Amino acid sequence: MKNIDSYTHTRGESIYLDDVPLTQGTLFGAIFGSPAAHGKIKKLDLSAAMASEGVVRIFTWKDIPGVNQIGGIVPDEPLFAEDIVDFNGMPVAFVVATSVEHAQAAIKKIIIEIDPLTVVTDPRVARQNNSLIVPPRTFRLGDSDAAFKDCVHVVEGIAETNGQEHLYIETQGAYALPQEHGAIKVISSTQGPTAVQRHMAKVLGVPMHQLEIDVTRLGGGFGGKEDQATSWAIFCALAAYHLKKPVKYSLHRMEDMRMTGKRNPYSSDFRIGLDAELNILAYEATFHQNAGAAADLSPAVLERTLFHCTNSYFIPNVTATAYSCRTNLPPNTAFRGFGGPQGMFVIEAAIAKAAEKIGVSAFEIQQKNLIKSGDEFPYGQLAVSEALPCWNRSLSLFDHAKKKKEIEKFNAENILYKKGMSMMPICFGISFTKILMNQARALVHVYMDGSVNVSTGAVEMGQGVNTKMLQVASTIFSIDPAKVKMNSTSTFRVANTSPSAASATADLNGKAVQIACNNILDRMKTVAADILKCSATEVSIKNEIVHVNDAATEISWDFLVLESYLRRISLSESGHYATPDIHFDASKEKGHPFAYHVYGTAITEVTVDCLRGTYKIDAVNVVHDFGTTMNALIDRGQIEGGIVQGIGWMTMEEIVYDEAGRLRSNTLSTYKVPDIYSVPQMLEIDFLETKNDNLAIFRSKAVGEPPLMYGIGTFFALRNAVKAFNPKSSIGFSAPMTPEKVLMGLYDK
Amino acid sequence: MERKQSFSRRFFLKTTSFAGALALIPPKAKALYTELKQRLIPTKEIMPLTVTINKKAYEVKADSRTTLLDLLRENLHLTGTKKGCDHGQCGACTVHIDGQRVLSCLTLAVMTTGKNVTTIEGLADGDKLHPMQQAFIECDGFQCGYCTPGQIMSAVACVNEGHTRSVAEIKEFMSGNLCRCGAYNGIVESIQKVAI
Repeated sequence: MKNIDSYTHTRGESIYLDDVPLTQGTLFGAIFGSPAAHGKIKKLDLSAAMASEGVVRIFTWKDIPGVNQIGGIVPDEPLFAEDIVDFNGMPVAFVVATSVEHAQAAIKKIIIEIDPLTVVTDPRVARQNNSLIVPPRTFRLGDSDAAFKDCVHVVEGIAETNGQEHLYIETQGAYALPQEHGAIKVISSTQGPTAVQRHMAKVLGVPMHQLEIDVTRLGGGFGGKEDQATSWAIFCALAAYHLKKPVKYSLHRMEDMRMTGKRNPYSSDFRIGLDAELNILAYEATFHQNAGAAADLSPAVLERTLFHCTNSYFIPNVTATAYSCRTNLPPNTAFRGFGGPQGMFVIEAAIAKAAEKIGVSAFEIQQKNLIKSGDEFPYGQLAVSEALPCWNRSLSLFDHAKKKKEIEKFNAENILYKKGMSMMPICFGISFTKILMNQARALVHVYMDGSVNVSTGAVEMGQGVNTKMLQVASTIFSIDPAKVKMNSTSTFRVANTSPSAASATADLNGKAVQIACNNILDRMKTVAADILKCSATEVSIKNEIVHVNDAATEISWDFLVLESYLRRISLSESGHYATPDIHFDASKEKGHPFAYHVYGTAITEVTVDCLRGTYKIDAVNVVHDFGTTMNALIDRGQIEGGIVQGIGWMTMEEIVYDEAGRLRSNTLSTYKVPDIYSVPQMLEIDFLETKNDNLAIFRSKAVGEPPLMYGIGTFFALRNAVKAFNPKSSIGFSAPMTPEKVLMGLYDK
Repeated sequence: MERKQSFSRRFFLKTTSFAGALALIPPKAKALYTELKQRLIPTKEIMPLTVTINKKAYEVKADSRTTLLDLLRENLHLTGTKKGCDHGQCGACTVHIDGQRVLSCLTLAVMTTGKNVTTIEGLADGDKLHPMQQAFIECDGFQCGYCTPGQIMSAVACVNEGHTRSVAEIKEFMSGNLCRCGAYNGIVESIQKVAI
């Protein structure tokens, strides 16, 4: 089934935040962010700005009726800076004026004096200063200390990954509209409407029932609008609360890039030990996560790094420790993969380095150690593994042996161009690692004319979740999809939602829709049984026709709906779903946190221009474990997009902060995201359809985040090509692998 | 363990920014620059503007500094054209002026006087989609949809310009439009489909 927004998307009729028609009297806001990354505010003079044309009022922390706090996991993030600024761009004042231009002009007239304090941007320095967001955490399996003694090969090193700017093409923003009796409706570009509502209630000092957060769709989120959409919505709501006027703020691209957090950069140490047969016996990793100035979601990101520290491999002895380090950067946050990619990069680096030292290919070590069903992850869960089927199928389907020979031949015959290839197996756990978040609700109404209206907590941001929700309802009822309408996501229709994140949105909300529909259907079947003088268990509906024991009757869906209504049977239902069988004990760091895992293998081939250091990605061939896909078109799009985004993270996307904590890559001319050239020349995706029972909706496994990690393979393929040109190159494990780094690696002595 | 400092763009940016901060600009030169900037920035001037947009004639008054993008979105409520970066780097705001594609965020509204502007809203013939719109649906050329109007306007122009002889050529002439969801393969396929 095609994306249900196809028609409006291609006609320019889809409504995003900035397209909502303005209500009369709407005012416009703009944030004045700190010009310094760390310091004490000595003076804040708003008088010239206040006198500026069109300015209505300027808000600071002093105008907050509730608490000046928006920290979700740790209460360490003020909405507005009070005395201290912790990062460049930290909100200090919110100017509200009669036009965007007036608000922006007034910002330039704000005078601030800041006594500078030491700026820390390096997570390792923060750790030395003991400046941590939360206490460090360690996952342990077996006894790595003892196991290293049995190892024939022990290799250690450093692996680093840079951050990643979300660069949703729709920037952050919100539009607050005051309602009767002190209520406020906020149209927000957020992945987490309940998070916005909860923090807004605290800041304004009002109950959550006064605040409707409504989301039609996002022009991209990728994790950047999970927690970071909250502040803009609250600024608008705060102004609307005081002024009793609608207030809108849609960020300019450069404001967005400067003031919002990104994927957490990591700097990690690893030590890996193998026996003579290349079995990995022991692995130690220490992760230094650059959290930025506040916790945001970093502690949860950190946790997922630990969960994925051994990727798709079984290692019997593991010690992995992670530090969430406080620095003076904007609070870093969720980004597709959520710490998983950062952890998986390190084990892949360790394997690559071990392979070099031993004198074998990484392929051999990877293949030897793939996780099998029944093997234990470092957090105690036992694998139900598709790692080997994916790996083996990729080798045969894409003829790995032949490719390898071709590349060797090419490299022997060419001096100025070298090819490289890599294998990238992935294993990604599906569920929020915070168990309580694995719940969802859906509200389903069947109207008396037979049409259906579905509301869920899922936010549509291009991942096609609303299409999948609609499919669930139309499949369960067995009615024409055109009879089903998806609603916007509103905290007044569905309460206490989890954010659309963790790849789990379609599973959680889909199951809630399924439950709601089934409950309505059960009541309708009782009505049908009464009309047809049979048992309700004999009744089914197929293509809008009531069947008894699989034989069609004359009763249609529309008739049965109306008849149910006339008999005063409820045609509405709120479905509630909570993932069963998952648990985790953080005091032991053991449990069964994931509903299931998603597996896959990517083979990546690249060609490096050894004069220029530039490169192209020849092919990415993937075998991906879909379970049983419920929408192959949407799932394929997610895989392709995830790979492109992963390649971007690993190759060209380079975030640069200077030593003063100022973002230098603050626009699209200095921060390069994948363009149409960045897509691999060949991109093949094979669907590994598995029949194993799983907890996914219609057994269609989650697909949002896992494919991003195929992009890691590009880094190692490039590195292999560099090594083919210069085997002595000491090129390290520092992503992204920009052409500059490739060039330095090619001619490294 | 040693950590190698490698030369990279990061190094380059850091160095140049450091040099920039240290550069001793004489105060006199600074004052001159500020004054010059003041003179160069045009003052607000409301100008009449006659323009045809999607075959409909408009007579509006616009600030001479208003971009075509803001005129379309804020004044005329044609919100199909999207603002992605507002400085010509993403392509989301692409429209046609007299059949040529332009970035409406880098075009002043007053420059369109007497011209024909086509936006995404003007592409379909009533309920009948333009072949490119149809192709984008068939080839799955989008995910979140935000860059889509710009992609489609660019794609239509790409075909009209005849830049569709190879995938490489399509890529070259579509490289100004970013899609963060990464639906590029579908976009190329859509153009190939219409070009045939």
